Amino acid sequence: MTASLVLAGHGSHLNQNSSDPVWSTAARIRSSSTFADVRVGFWKEEPSLSRVLDGCEAGDVTVVPFFISDGYFTRTVVPREMGLDGPLTVRGPLRIRYTPPVGAHPAIAGVIIERAREAGAGPGDAVAVLGHGTRRDSRSKKNVYHMASLVREQGPFARVEALFLDQDPNMLQLLEIFHEPTVVVVPLFVADGWHVGETIPDDLSLDGPETRRAGRTVRYTPPVGTHPTMTRVVLELAREAVT
Amino acid sequence: MTAIPDHLGQLTVDRHGDAPILRGPGDPSITLPPSEDALRRHTRLDDSGRYRPLSGARTLAAGWQVETGEALPLERAIEAVYPLALTHLRLHAEGELPLVTLDDVLSRQTGRYEHAARLSHSGRNRAIRLLCGQCVRIPVWDGRACTPGAIPCPEPCSVLVSLCREAALWENDPPSPASVVPHVAFAAFDEPGNELREAFLADMPPPPGRNTSSG
Repeated sequence: MTASLVLAGHGSHLNQNSSDPVWSTAARIRSSSTFADVRVGFWKEEPSLSRVLDGCEAGDVTVVPFFISDGYFTRTVVPREMGLDGPLTVRGPLRIRYTPPVGAHPAIAGVIIERAREAGAGPGDAVAVLGHGTRRDSRSKKNVYHMASLVREQGPFARVEALFLDQDPNMLQLLEIFHEPTVVVVPLFVADGWHVGETIPDDLSLDGPETRRAGRTVRYTPPVGTHPTMTRVVLELAREAVT
Repeated sequence: MTAIPDHLGQLTVDRHGDAPILRGPGDPSITLPPSEDALRRHTRLDDSGRYRPLSGARTLAAGWQVETGEALPLERAIEAVYPLALTHLRLHAEGELPLVTLDDVLSRQTGRYEHAARLSHSGRNRAIRLLCGQCVRIPVWDGRACTPGAIPCPEPCSVLVSLCREAALWENDPPSPASVVPHVAFAAFDEPGNELREAFLADMPPPPGRNTSSG
């Protein structure tokens, strides 16, 4: 009997960087030898979610969704593609456990604070926790608000608010919502992919990690998903799933 | 355990030295470090630097090799280029490879891809011919025979689902054709100039009632 870990990610048909955090986290866990078998599966890349368990013949499998929100992908797409019934699926000799997504783990608030501090944020600065959001699924925004709330409680910052790419309060209102001289934008995204690398900087007219505009400063950090802490988050979710 | 063939897709395994050397197409001019990550990153792009979301596309970068061994076992190296290929070869050889058809894959789609199920039978066949025709994997899910050493494909991939989604929209409201633009992303099927999009549109029958005569 073997213990297998599967990281289930989104991936992309258009951006080669989207799956990097999933691959790098899997590589770190593989080198730690915590699991005999570490696999990755993607919605839009290979190996596909629907075939990632091919050749997995017996034992305990833990599937950790490498997604930020507990929404459409974690509740519909991943279970459907992988044939999961819920937190525990028994399929012949396989016992497949399905955990909450990495983005909902409380440790993510610490990653957001760390990202903001790396960008120089201090007590007088504002932090914008920037999520995707979607008008099509109200659950998508919940985790962004939850993380902003945790950062507000745990961090030293003057103000912390949730903003969104695809719903209100929209990121385009950044400098209207915040009045602090420095605003640090932390993308609550998995990858440095299309949104984090292209659409957000373009839409906000950012010059790079630091943008000065009308006497104010906007700092833009890497996404939370590329932080090394994600490895610990995955392992904690996997451990919690079997206890 | 199924033996790893010397030729797999566009890969060649050279077993003449102490350790097997894995090569891409063409004469090798660079040697990659024995790292799964380095190999994946290198083969993720084609010779023009365009992203390859379809691992089996016959656009594998040319002119590289990597020495396999303890740091990078041959199986892991092949897995980095053609994910699950060896698993599917073994299961197919054992008669244990579960197959899923395009009809089944399209009918289970939801959200953005739910519309793909509206693609006509002829449109599905056109999409299979155009996309799978560019892939080294053999769509055994479509009843194709897998010759020894070829990689069996047990289920339509997400790229094919994406093409079917766009094609269903084109059947409903045919867009104007455009010239192929080589740097348009391989799977950007909604972008005029995409190679597969233009091939599909050129191959579509004219809508009923449209006069196609030039004179």
